[in-house]
Amino acid sequence: MSGEKSSAIAPAETYKMAALRAGDRTIFRSFFYSFAGFLFLYAAYLFLSNVDQLFVTEAAIKTREITAWGDDREIMNMFAGGFWKDINFWKSLNLTLIITVITTIISTVIGIPTAYALSRYRIPGKSIIEVLFSSVIVIPASSVGLCLIVMFNYGPFWDLQQKLGFRFAHSIFPGMIIASFVLSFALGLSAWKATFESINPRFEHVARSLGSSRWRAFRTVTLPMAKSGLIAGIILAWTRAMAEFGAVLFFCGTFSELPSSRFSALERALHVDQADWLSVSVWSQIEYGNVEYGFALAFMLVLIGGLSVYVMHRIGAKGYIW
Amino acid sequence: MIELCELSGDLGEFRLSNINLEVQDGEYLVLLGPTGAGKTVLIEYIVGIYKQDKGRILVNGQDITPLYTEERNIAYVPQDYALFPNLTVEKNIAFGLEARRMPQDQTKKIVSGIIAKLGLEHLSHRMPLNLSGGEKQRVALGRALATEPKFVLLDEPLSALDENLRTTMARELRALQQESRATFIHVCHNFEEASDVADRIAIMHEGELVQVGTLDEVKAGPKNEFVARFLKTGNIFNASSDGSTVSYNGTRFHHTATGFIGDVMMAVRPENIRIRTEANGEDVNTVRGRVTRVISKPHFKEINVDIGIPLVVYSITNGFDAGDEVHVHIPPEHIIVLKRGV
Repeated sequence: MSGEKSSAIAPAETYKMAALRAGDRTIFRSFFYSFAGFLFLYAAYLFLSNVDQLFVTEAAIKTREITAWGDDREIMNMFAGGFWKDINFWKSLNLTLIITVITTIISTVIGIPTAYALSRYRIPGKSIIEVLFSSVIVIPASSVGLCLIVMFNYGPFWDLQQKLGFRFAHSIFPGMIIASFVLSFALGLSAWKATFESINPRFEHVARSLGSSRWRAFRTVTLPMAKSGLIAGIILAWTRAMAEFGAVLFFCGTFSELPSSRFSALERALHVDQADWLSVSVWSQIEYGNVEYGFALAFMLVLIGGLSVYVMHRIGAKGYIW
Repeated sequence: MIELCELSGDLGEFRLSNINLEVQDGEYLVLLGPTGAGKTVLIEYIVGIYKQDKGRILVNGQDITPLYTEERNIAYVPQDYALFPNLTVEKNIAFGLEARRMPQDQTKKIVSGIIAKLGLEHLSHRMPLNLSGGEKQRVALGRALATEPKFVLLDEPLSALDENLRTTMARELRALQQESRATFIHVCHNFEEASDVADRIAIMHEGELVQVGTLDEVKAGPKNEFVARFLKTGNIFNASSDGSTVSYNGTRFHHTATGFIGDVMMAVRPENIRIRTEANGEDVNTVRGRVTRVISKPHFKEINVDIGIPLVVYSITNGFDAGDEVHVHIPPEHIIVLKRGV
């Protein structure tokens, strides 16, 4: 009897619960979208309201005086405007893209096998590696930069540089690659490791019991299952490299003020000489008093970051950052 | 033939100690034991997923211990089947053949043969995610059998299926094994499932192999109390033996077991006890008792009788009710005598 009774009531109850849950979802979604919409509109307003500033073209951009914020509106307006006409902007973008692509490739080539090994094998010191790289994610990037300075300017690495005849710190190659690599690698590694850990190793065991080599089992079974997670990790590694600020600033500093002779032939050939890392440039432009210029650069970075995360969502790799 | 010689291994959570086992060619062996007994670990050692700490695994006399999984040629069907979710049913079945670089037309022929044999024609282009438990099980079997392996290891292959399907699939498994003449090692924790398929059973407990034999052998002569209880022997009592009789609570029974004197355990399988309303001249081991409860099971009645000891008797005869005076006869050859506390 009780069974019949409950089955008679259950559907209605279920619908009610489902309706409630659907209602919750609707409320949450509308709240979320209005909040996100508000943020976007506000950012767009800030950008557009300064567009006139960006179109001021007669300014003598090349005067590099450090002027405090709001000291002199005249100078501020003079610096602002037409950032895309500034060769330094294109050099910055070029530098940032070249370095982040190299960094991402290195992170990927080292990170994916490392993540696989960490998720599949018993490795001595595994927990130390894991704690090291997860702590890199949570400590301030400026500390990472300082650690890199200490690491490369003293001890065996310093001796190595003396022998090789060039310096790692305050250099574009390989200084900027090292500085952007650390966090990019750490974040990519965490995503790749989570991806491999979510795939039951039993699939590979079965594949191997059917006569597949270890590599074939990885290629035909694990890799297709891990694909979206691995791509998400690559995008994360790339965006993190691009968003790097503290480590690059502390370890490499700025380059736009240096004489051309300070740069190598390769750096000149790639048009990355006398150029600043994009996010460092945002900071230095604001320091120079070019608030709008800095804001425009920052907005570029926001667009690139947003687009990358959108691509991650499109490939179905949500959940790796949010 | 697969021989395990003094196989020992420690995986932290599970350990195996000193496993010795021979599985003959074409035999269907069931590894039986409760959860956590180490059955799965044992077959994972045989497949080569883990390396044992000690001992050897011989296949037809050759030590396969140094070989990788892919070199062992032992098919393996894990508990969750592990069908490759990125491949269709057809591609799953073809996987082993493709790994062995078999020509495409030959692969196609073998795969369609297997698909037809297992009745999977309508599913061949489906992805595994949307299959039912029974269908998944068939695909996993097809994938394992496609390469015509000599040895097939199945880890709880029927546990995900409902009870009716389980019996059907068990029969099918047995038929497939007979047809392929492969050696099957099948892990399960269910006595009934084992009885549907097994030539022999091997009982494991806490990482040790306790007893190996045909089901009838093990049922008739469990090695210790654990095996007796695991095989649902029932009617297990502490008793004392003088060599030819056991007595419990003043009731004395003749038995044919030898070599047991002093404190022992006696056990009788409920289906081996005869129960009648009238005495039948079977004086030896016949006692009077009173029916306390009758439970109707699908194929028989479970009758609880009080003969000074609470006894459980299985009978296919109707006509017993609680309160009836009955005669209970325990044939001496069916009295199992065990050492106490082992």
